[in-house]
Amino acid sequence: MSYPIASSLLDGIVLAVVERESTYGYRITQDVQKVLEISESTLYPVLRRLQKDGYLSIYDEAFAGRNRRYYKITEHGRVQLRQHRIDWQNYRNGIDAIFFGGNHQ
Amino acid sequence: MNRTEYMAALRRALSVLPEEERASALRYYEEYFDDAGPENEEKVIADLGAPEKVAGQILADYREVTPVPPASDNAAPQQNKRRWNGINPWLLVVLVLLAIPIGIPLAGVLIGLLVTLFGVVLSIVLMVLAFAVVVPLCLLAAGVILCGMSFVLWSMPASAVMTLGCGLALFALGVLLSLLIIKLCILFVPPLFRAFVALLRWPIDKWRGRTHKNGGDAK
Repeated sequence: MSYPIASSLLDGIVLAVVERESTYGYRITQDVQKVLEISESTLYPVLRRLQKDGYLSIYDEAFAGRNRRYYKITEHGRVQLRQHRIDWQNYRNGIDAIFFGGNHQ
Repeated sequence: MNRTEYMAALRRALSVLPEEERASALRYYEEYFDDAGPENEEKVIADLGAPEKVAGQILADYREVTPVPPASDNAAPQQNKRRWNGINPWLLVVLVLLAIPIGIPLAGVLIGLLVTLFGVVLSIVLMVLAFAVVVPLCLLAAGVILCGMSFVLWSMPASAVMTLGCGLALFALGVLLSLLIIKLCILFVPPLFRAFVALLRWPIDKWRGRTHKNGGDAK
């Protein structure tokens, strides 16, 4: 069974993927699809929103005779990603505590 | 459906977006096809699903991003907004009736001003035209007449030669001036005309741009 993915969680995932290295839309989709069942058309709105909010910046780089648009995480985005990690940790600890007993409290 | 048709359908489905947003989305999916490679074209189309669905996701998110007050979970401001949008028809009738006594004279004055302005501009243009056409024509005519007179005066060779010379000189001056004016017309008329058209189009473009943007925001 799979869980529906909240939009804030998807934001965090995309930020984390782009933080590893600057990359482009098709690759991001492929990377996220390795772990999550998302549709091919899910990520464009997310990328556009993160870019508008200043978490991602874009730049073009020539590739195979055309320009490819790369996404790069901004300082603002790193701060946001740190917060996502903290939030996720708390969330997971809470669920773990219920699922597996009170180790974490 | 092939890639070209798919992108055309997507463009149509996104037509309500502002140009910049649409271009960005279309570029993303063009690159998506490029990066997937031509051999995967059909697979990409199948995976993406109907262009309308893809467009729907973009539009839904755009609505969230644009500053429609972040109050989707709070109904009160939404209602407020709606009240602003719709003006009561009865209020509108009353406003129109109240505006008539002021509106009609004001419109009269405005139309009068516009007509006057038009008249002034027209007369200036006509004056310039008249000057540009009449002066060289007069010079040419004077030259021809003087040359003609010189033949009558042939009994006094000195006067005749003098008159002929003056006539030719005037004629030449007329030709030069004509050429100059033609050259000036070629140089200045098209840009002036273009500026005039741009001036006329400006309010229309502005209006259209605004409705376009509003259309984008309203969705």
